[in-house]
Amino acid sequence: MSAPLGAALRAEWIKLRSVRSTYITVGIALLLGLGIGLLDVISTVHNWSGMNAADRASFDPVGNTFSGFQFGELAFGALGVLAISTEYGTDLIRTTLVTVPSRRLLYTAKVLVLSVFALIVCETCAFSAFLLGQAVLSHRNLDVGLAHGHVLRAVGFAGLYMMVVTMVGFGLGAIIRHTAGAIAAMVAIVFLAWPAARAVESFSSLPDRMLLINAADALTATHPATGLHTERIPSFGFACLDLIVYLAVFLGIAAWRFTRDA
Amino acid sequence: MTITCDQLTKRFGSVTAVSQLSFEVLPGRVTGFLGPNGAGKSTTMRMVLGLDTPTAGRALVCGRPYRSLQRPLRMVGALLDAGAVHPGRTARDHLGWMAATADLPSRRIDEALDRTGLAAVATKRVRDFSLGMRQRLGIASALLGDPPVLMLDEPVNGLDPEGIVWIRTLMRSLATDGRTVLVSSHLMSEMALTADHLIVIGRGRVLADTGMDDFIATNAKGDVLVRTPRRDELAGVLTRAGGAVQVESVDTLAVEGLALEAISEIAAENGVRVLELSGRTASLEQAYLALTQDATEFQSRTLEATA
Repeated sequence: MSAPLGAALRAEWIKLRSVRSTYITVGIALLLGLGIGLLDVISTVHNWSGMNAADRASFDPVGNTFSGFQFGELAFGALGVLAISTEYGTDLIRTTLVTVPSRRLLYTAKVLVLSVFALIVCETCAFSAFLLGQAVLSHRNLDVGLAHGHVLRAVGFAGLYMMVVTMVGFGLGAIIRHTAGAIAAMVAIVFLAWPAARAVESFSSLPDRMLLINAADALTATHPATGLHTERIPSFGFACLDLIVYLAVFLGIAAWRFTRDA
Repeated sequence: MTITCDQLTKRFGSVTAVSQLSFEVLPGRVTGFLGPNGAGKSTTMRMVLGLDTPTAGRALVCGRPYRSLQRPLRMVGALLDAGAVHPGRTARDHLGWMAATADLPSRRIDEALDRTGLAAVATKRVRDFSLGMRQRLGIASALLGDPPVLMLDEPVNGLDPEGIVWIRTLMRSLATDGRTVLVSSHLMSEMALTADHLIVIGRGRVLADTGMDDFIATNAKGDVLVRTPRRDELAGVLTRAGGAVQVESVDTLAVEGLALEAISEIAAENGVRVLELSGRTASLEQAYLALTQDATEFQSRTLEATA
């Protein structure tokens, strides 16, 4: 089993790095993920003297650097979808299945290659955004170090969260097998599901705590949530569980569908 | 090194695409795989390659189910659909990922590109390829692992005349090497030049599994061409002698059911001068059409209303 897995991993890696969409989506994620965070931080430094005490107190030197991350997540989610949906769109999947006939082996290779690639790029993105932002904030001595409080945890999970979004996109791509449909579903599930949770809030706030965007807030926060509607934000542990559940559900259904037919 | 189908059956809902198909494709010769549209050729090939699961029966390659092969590229080279390629990838990268699945050295990629005449466009994206170039890329991927078994579905599709001669020579030489070559095509004249053996299916069943010459001799009779200045007169006496006579042109008749010698004798007895007398063997196309007439799923409507 080990030799074929190695071969399948190499093949999937060649596939991922030999199409332009990989470079475009990663490029957009880095550009917007880093760029918008940087603009936000520069604007804070610029306006700091005019800000009132309450605004200054609520300033989050870590969260501020991640202002562009929703764009990054969107781009990585699209990368995840495209990594599999284009195989169906171009019929390449038939060539792939003839070349690697074991569905389980093929699916394992695809998931491993994409998740490791996404994790490395997403963590690079998160740490670059953080370090760039702190360099700017240091002009007003507003910066924090990685060793401070939950800062390292927050930065690390910002990258990990983006990887999870990539894999949710991949799962949806493998389930729906159509690029536009899978991207629409990914946007709905990752970014737009909150009104559904709000609608049932009078019964339970559990759906709120199960939303990916609220999990992201909990995972990248350096202080416990304050203010209104803190019940919507899951605890750190619950948010970790959210990530695991999303990965298990979408990659699980995708694996079931992938191994059932051609 | 054979392809074996044993009672292979595939049903899609209530439609039976392939019904208890049993045949064996042997090495050392080119086997033509023929049948009308909807006869089940593609479904059979898909099942052999593990893309579809048989409802019953089994398909084996070199004695094993395809899906159990560890590095199938080294065992079977398949050309199913030349369009099944990502258009944004270069030819070299496409062959590159395929080679990686079977641990093939990159030298093999160069050889496959050279052999199919694609070396000059190796770093071009497949998007910019013509149909013929895509077809060559599909053949390059089939040859990549130097496999003992080849399955080619409509390989001449989109090739120019030079390309058609090339693929014909290639298939013949692969068979001469002792490889098993199964090729499907609707081009009968091409098949007649390439295949040694034929497997013909219709409505999901094997109609014939025989050598090329036997197939033609069994399924279509030849006729005799007679050229004479007294066409109608000769047609009359030949018909009375039991021949089936058809007018081919102003001075030519096509006669079935009478031997060449008999026609010559009858003409001499009746004092009819004959300018030309020659026997014609039936073509593969005639034999194929005669055999599959009843088994054609989507028969084109004859123009009865206007006839």
